[in-house]
Amino acid sequence: MRYWARALSAMLVALALAVTVAACGGDDDDGGSTSASTSASTTSGGGASAEGARQGGTATVLMGTAPDYLDPQLAYTTQAVEAHWISYTGLLTYRHEEGEAGTELIPGLADALPRISDDGLTYDFTLRRGLRYSNGAPVRATDYPYSIMRMIRVPWGGRSFVTNYVEGAQEYDEGRADSIRGITADDNSGRITIRLREPYGAFSNVLAFPALAFVPRGTPMRNLSASPPPGVGPYMLDEVVPNRSFTVRRNPIFADFRIPDIPLGNLDAIRVSIVSNTNSEAQQVLNNQADVFDAGDTLPPALLPQIESQARDRFARKPVPSVYYFFLNTTRPPFDNEKARIAVNMAIDREALARIASGFLETGCFFIPRGIVGHPDSECPYGDEPDLEGAQRMLREAGLEGAPVTVWGQERSPRKEYIDYYTDLLNRIGFRAEERIIADTVYFPTIGNERTDPQTGYANWLQDFPNPSDFYLLMDARSIQPTNNQNFSKVDDPFIQRQLERLNPVPATELDTVAAEWQALDEYTAERAYVAAFGGLSVPKFFSERMNFDSVFHPLYFNDWSTLSLK
Amino acid sequence: MVRFVVRRLISMVLVLFAISVLTFLIFQAIPNGDPAVRMAGRLATPEQVELIRESWGFNDPLWQQYLTTMEKILSGDVISYTQQLNVMDQIKQALPATLSLAIGAGIIWLFFGVVFGLFSAIKAGRFTDRALTVLALVGVSTPVFLLGAVALYFLAFKLTIFPNGGYVPLTEDPIDWLYHMILPWAVLSVLFIGVYSRILRSNVLDTMSEDYVRTARAKGLSEKRVMVRHVLRNSMIPIISLWSLDFAAVLGGGAILTESVFNLHGVGQYAADAIQQLDVPPVLVVVMLGASAVVVLSALTDVLFAFLDPRIRLTG
Amino acid sequence: MAIDPATPDTTGSGAIRTASGDSPVAAEPGGGAPSAGIGPYRLALRRLRRNKVALAFGALFVLIVVLCFCAPLYADHVAHTGPNDNHVTDTVTVGGEEKDVVSVSGLPIGPTWQGRFLLGADQNGRDLAVRLLYGGRNSLEVGFVATFITMILATIVGLAAGFYRGVVDGVLARILDLIWAYPVVLLGIALGTSLALGGISIGPIELSGNSLLVPAVIIGVVYIPYVAKPIRGQVLGLREKEFVDAARVQGASSLRIMTREILPNIASTLVVFLPLIVANAILLEAALSYLGAGIQPPNPSWGTMISDGIRLIPSAIHLTFVPGAMLVLAVLGINVFGDGVRDALDPRARVKIDAKGQEKFREDPMEIAVEH
Repeated sequence: MRYWARALSAMLVALALAVTVAACGGDDDDGGSTSASTSASTTSGGGASAEGARQGGTATVLMGTAPDYLDPQLAYTTQAVEAHWISYTGLLTYRHEEGEAGTELIPGLADALPRISDDGLTYDFTLRRGLRYSNGAPVRATDYPYSIMRMIRVPWGGRSFVTNYVEGAQEYDEGRADSIRGITADDNSGRITIRLREPYGAFSNVLAFPALAFVPRGTPMRNLSASPPPGVGPYMLDEVVPNRSFTVRRNPIFADFRIPDIPLGNLDAIRVSIVSNTNSEAQQVLNNQADVFDAGDTLPPALLPQIESQARDRFARKPVPSVYYFFLNTTRPPFDNEKARIAVNMAIDREALARIASGFLETGCFFIPRGIVGHPDSECPYGDEPDLEGAQRMLREAGLEGAPVTVWGQERSPRKEYIDYYTDLLNRIGFRAEERIIADTVYFPTIGNERTDPQTGYANWLQDFPNPSDFYLLMDARSIQPTNNQNFSKVDDPFIQRQLERLNPVPATELDTVAAEWQALDEYTAERAYVAAFGGLSVPKFFSERMNFDSVFHPLYFNDWSTLSLK
Repeated sequence: MVRFVVRRLISMVLVLFAISVLTFLIFQAIPNGDPAVRMAGRLATPEQVELIRESWGFNDPLWQQYLTTMEKILSGDVISYTQQLNVMDQIKQALPATLSLAIGAGIIWLFFGVVFGLFSAIKAGRFTDRALTVLALVGVSTPVFLLGAVALYFLAFKLTIFPNGGYVPLTEDPIDWLYHMILPWAVLSVLFIGVYSRILRSNVLDTMSEDYVRTARAKGLSEKRVMVRHVLRNSMIPIISLWSLDFAAVLGGGAILTESVFNLHGVGQYAADAIQQLDVPPVLVVVMLGASAVVVLSALTDVLFAFLDPRIRLTG
Repeated sequence: MAIDPATPDTTGSGAIRTASGDSPVAAEPGGGAPSAGIGPYRLALRRLRRNKVALAFGALFVLIVVLCFCAPLYADHVAHTGPNDNHVTDTVTVGGEEKDVVSVSGLPIGPTWQGRFLLGADQNGRDLAVRLLYGGRNSLEVGFVATFITMILATIVGLAAGFYRGVVDGVLARILDLIWAYPVVLLGIALGTSLALGGISIGPIELSGNSLLVPAVIIGVVYIPYVAKPIRGQVLGLREKEFVDAARVQGASSLRIMTREILPNIASTLVVFLPLIVANAILLEAALSYLGAGIQPPNPSWGTMISDGIRLIPSAIHLTFVPGAMLVLAVLGINVFGDGVRDALDPRARVKIDAKGQEKFREDPMEIAVEH
């Protein structure tokens, strides 16, 4: 008897204790650090909003999706580059401004924009003097070729931007060379020269990727996500617990370098926590238990009414240059028939898709999105209002009624809902459509595989850099490949090819001179209905009451953490 | 005894081997599941994919890939595909949360399961019993993710009595730890309380009709004493062995749904994420861990009972 | 005997594991059959008829099943829309007022309590009531098919392992152990994710990844050991009985002994397991769908509807509540009814009421828990 009685009473006591203790627990928000280090000066004219903003303090950023990698030379997702572009600076970077102004390239660790040779093949830089990494080690010009080699070796997902263009990079990638022939550097003069195989106008944009930033020579050539290497930037990564949390802390020595136009930051530290449940993520920011809702996450639509009534002054929808579309495979029936593609474009109700996206979709019918040079300002070729009858008629005339179509889609919301809508729509206009939703991770490898050869489905593209050629990569016949195909519609159009050959080499700094030609090209694509584009993403800028809301929202890197400040 | 341990160990190794092979094959069967393509990135050329495939050994014959992976798992330096992090480190990181969940919830469900079950048995056939039965079955019939989401909404968001999910390490702040664990414990326990109270009720009723209970009563022992000393004690044996299995399952990452609803970042959530990313190494490790937890704990309970009650034979 | 926790958080499985110890063998001849001349099943039926609570919940379950299988009638004649028809930009008149089915910021309309959108709409402007019924049909179908698979295979495996013993038993028992030790939900989502991508092709049978049968097969397989193990245990005992020896002496084939002599004696165990597995299969389907490894869109199921709805809880709780309540009611109905069936077949659990002098025949629960 004693045994059980004792066991039971012990449990009871433990439980009672637990409950009381919990009741006293209370909400313990870590309440904003008190440290008032204001050493950082804003003399070098940092971002506009940094002027006079309160210095110091800690803010908490919540992320619903973990960064893919915290090693700067592996990271590709927005969640990672948000932290990296203020912690790892390359030769070039972007101005810390909103909208189009933020797409302007500025010198980073180079002392000026590149001197580009007339044939567009040679890029010449000089490294600023006196730079040091966050660990105090001096930055040398020869670190740069090493960093690029490391980027290729670890390997970074976007390395084809480099291996396809830089002389000798391909050979290095394939192990046929020990170094990259096309990149030379001299520690004494600080000169860095990059030679390309063919002119590539967007190469300056490529150089601004955080993945092409400086890391010290000798940094191990393996994934260092758990303890990221030192870099040069106003902040540095610290206290990394993979998949759970990390801290972006102010780099005290960066202020000494006096690099113009790169703000020194206001907060002492930004704590990032990964929360797998976006509902609770948004609720915590709404209730001021955390400070920043990561812009890369989908705001749960159900909280919108509450946010719009309770937090109107700390919530905004920010359009991001991107294109969301249904691809229409031009090499397989029924979409090899232009009429079928046009019918889809006529029938599609972009307003419906915007509602499914809870308003986080700016409708549009062109492939080059707003905010990117070359976005056409003309009317949609197939009208703004959906025309179901017209589409049905067109299909009947083309004899395509009842044609079987498999529609491919991704699992995550609202992408699945887009496909639910789209499949229903195809059925209404006369196809016999069936849905295939597959896991997010395998989606793009699956639809980019020759063996799948999908008829139609969901696709999207967020800019890698603000240049129309980044979008037309997806319409380029040369990007059709058996695996990892990105030209899902398999567009192979001689006119597009001719234009791309002319437009792609135009340097990023001279894009404005060819804006009209890009526009004409994009209008042509829309008329041929190669895809059914339905708009671009907008993302939530959503802060707690503790934060000033005037920080910079950058078109590439979303919330600019170096301009965040506490009230 | 030695024979028992040896036989159990052998069967455990066999089960682990079979489970790992099965898991490995499940993921091999996925079309377009080639990890190299995903690791190479969305813009990679076929040559770059091939390079990765070569360097990770994905071109080796299947059995060799299996052996290499298992060797890495056993030596502790197995790396995941998606984030290329050491799997063992990740699991070590996830274990405290899962352990907290398992221990706390385990105590709660055992306690309330026993109390309700006993009460129900004493009142067998009366209204209280019927009501408790239906209540227990409601608990059993409610999916954890539904209960968890609704509880989070009302208690954490609307009333802000509880934190909105997340895990605080015990060593960092014991009170905050408790405060974060209460809701997950409660939600996970509901289901088990239902199950346990039903089982205990029927065990108690069974035992009460046993001869030795009647004898005890006839001897004039007080009803309370009969209940506790004879009935409860005997009815608890199957409950404890059941408990050890369930506890092992939660420990081995079985509480996937609770962990993800409450964002505990435990072992189960880690495994579920890995499955969704088709990341084989973490799945293999967690599944093997879970299976060994079940096998080891059930062996331990058997030993314990054999020790307590000499009538029970240990069969391997 | 217990209800299995194995499902939702899955974990459990423990309960069904020891369920073996609970197998109601009361109905076995020579066991506890009363001598009044009434068959054990008749007696059980009579007892069940007296259990009004169980009957009421059983009726509730039947009602839900009937409603769900009438889904097309409701869709055609009341709602005038199918389960997958989107009405995102449509409007509906409620009380003379024109309302958006889905608001500009993406919030679906709540219950209108009229033919169209009786219970409101979902984010795609689909009629929730129609989807609820079709979803129920899918969930129940998966539950029933999975149970069918479990029962058939578990009976065959349990019979063969218990009857032949030796090598057959050794091999089968190992396979059962394998599935048994594999964490249930992990196995479920691993198989679900894999098969949803690849489909199943076994010989002539080919299922595409989005077929309803894929989750049914997965769930069916996952639960086999929970039924097969106790059956095997029972068969081990039965094959030593006189009536089996008698049949063998008369020259009956093994197959005949198994089907004619042993099978009727394990029938009551199967009857007890039936509602239990149905309930758990429905719950496991919901859990798998919640994790994206169950029924594939756009087909609704209660699980997918709940998981889609959870995102919208704070302002459209009906999207979670309606399918959630339906799921809980259905599972509760069958659970309470199943509980009643078990009580009826296994009257010892009712000692206080009507078990005077019931003979006890039962293996020590501990023995079975230990031996696996």
